[in-house]
Amino acid sequence: MTKHVVVIGGGVTGAAIAYDLSQRGARVTLLERGSIGSGTSGRTHGLLHSGCRYVADVDVARECYLENVTLRKIAPFLFEKNGGLFVAIDESDLKYKDFFLKKCEEAGIPVKELDRNEALRLEPNLNPELKAAVLVPDGTFDPLKVILSFLASAKLHGADIRPFNEVVGFRIESGAIKAVRVLDKTSEREYELEADYVVNATGAWANKVARLAGLSVPVKPSPGVMVALNARIGHRVFNRLNKPGDGDIIIHQRGTSVIGTTSWVVEDPDKVTIPREHVELMLKRGTELAPIVAKLKVKATYVSSRPLVGAVQASTGREISRSFAIIDHARDGVENFASIIGGKFTTARLMAEKMADFVAERIGITQPCRTADTPLAPYWSYFT
Amino acid sequence: MKYRVIIRKYKTEWREPKYVSYEVEADPDTSVLDVVEKISLEKDRTLAFEHACHHGACGACGMIINGVERLACITKIGEVARNGIVVLEPLRGFKVISDLAVNKSRMFKHYALVKPGTHEKVVGTVEVEKLLDCLECGICYSACPIANTFEGYVGPSVIAMSYKSSSNGKVPAIIDSRRGVWACHGSFECIARCPVDFKPGETIMKIRKELLFGKLQVV
Repeated sequence: MTKHVVVIGGGVTGAAIAYDLSQRGARVTLLERGSIGSGTSGRTHGLLHSGCRYVADVDVARECYLENVTLRKIAPFLFEKNGGLFVAIDESDLKYKDFFLKKCEEAGIPVKELDRNEALRLEPNLNPELKAAVLVPDGTFDPLKVILSFLASAKLHGADIRPFNEVVGFRIESGAIKAVRVLDKTSEREYELEADYVVNATGAWANKVARLAGLSVPVKPSPGVMVALNARIGHRVFNRLNKPGDGDIIIHQRGTSVIGTTSWVVEDPDKVTIPREHVELMLKRGTELAPIVAKLKVKATYVSSRPLVGAVQASTGREISRSFAIIDHARDGVENFASIIGGKFTTARLMAEKMADFVAERIGITQPCRTADTPLAPYWSYFT
Repeated sequence: MKYRVIIRKYKTEWREPKYVSYEVEADPDTSVLDVVEKISLEKDRTLAFEHACHHGACGACGMIINGVERLACITKIGEVARNGIVVLEPLRGFKVISDLAVNKSRMFKHYALVKPGTHEKVVGTVEVEKLLDCLECGICYSACPIANTFEGYVGPSVIAMSYKSSSNGKVPAIIDSRRGVWACHGSFECIARCPVDFKPGETIMKIRKELLFGKLQVV
């Protein structure tokens, strides 16, 4: 009989897992407490990472770049064909350049150094004082549409996608989840959903959901503030050529440019407010990259919480990659339940592949992952 | 500042919607969306509404705010409240899923019909391809008197997208029909309400003119 997997979380990770598992033949139901992409995923800045931001760790950078290439291949309609620039503004940036170029090469990311005039011709709004510029294969996207594409693809394989359905508890019997208790917000009714396996893909909320089963997940919700301007000031992504830091990027998508971001750690991702000084810092740092920022109005400020991996003890979980982790709750006494945390929007397909491998092994599915070679369904087919 | 937010609520088993009032404390600079999210987290757990990007880029949070279609994420509560009151209702012209969430399939189903690309070429000192500026929020459908009364109308944004993304200078035949550009009565509410200046109505008039003068062909 076809096994029923319940995926909790309608962000990009949950969507990609629902797609992967349904493509392999599992019966999948995805539960999301709000609308699709209403948590962290929808609120990202929309950068398809080239990996260059992470060159300090060559493996992570390479992983990122390969996923960037895969996503463009399976869903070219989702991404702006723009690329990005890493720009040195001061001496400290300039000192970072040789290290950066060397590491990009090690990671296999194709980059190209541009002279100052060429960089300013491509992007006239960059700081004219720039000292160096490197062209990288970044991209931009509308996060919601990427998530919807994964879900549209999952639906083609029979997945049942249920936004506005919040998990409120679990029925656990003899060391396994028998059913998930769900509150359907569109009818205000509670119901039970039987499951053979349950995946907790709720990112920054992973610990809150795991607690409903008496478990814990070492996730550290780490919010970042973003500032959207009321105009688009460039085509290619503007990155500060230096180590990752606050306000080191401006991303352009559709009619907007977004300056990002900061980072701190909170207990509860449902109780995050925007520190005013973070907004001021974004505008200051953004102005260093592109002086025109000082003349523009702020359209919106927003904050979203990354699901950073805290201390994963060898006895409670295993690290699949340096950038994300799968927590097997069988080790805590609930055999058919796992959580996935960490990762980046860009690597969601890969995370889903690893998570689906993990689940497939446990529910007896032998089909391999095919998501890297199958074109994604367009997002608009989610609605039809 | 204290605000009274009144939301039109509807659940699938209710016979009719009802208006529910919430007292909230918020800075006038806070977006209506952040206020709604706060209500859902602190006062009304089952409140259904759509949102994703929170900065006017994804089109999810279109709703009617004190009678006018707007994106809740880029609308400051202090700018739209009247005597401290803000009334929130779902977009018109779409089927309500629950509360403020609507089903936008009547718009998205036409994407298959007209097969638009989602990119446009930007020609300037350099050539790049960017996503079309249309946010696909559905606000133009809600504001349009035709879309609200004629179910078969392709609709403002999709007509404009089919033209702007056309790579061969042709538009699908349905655009040159009474379900396409010829259904428009020129009220231009779509232009007035579009949150990103995509101006579907302007493109609709341009398509009409080009069709009349034989400058635009259909496939």
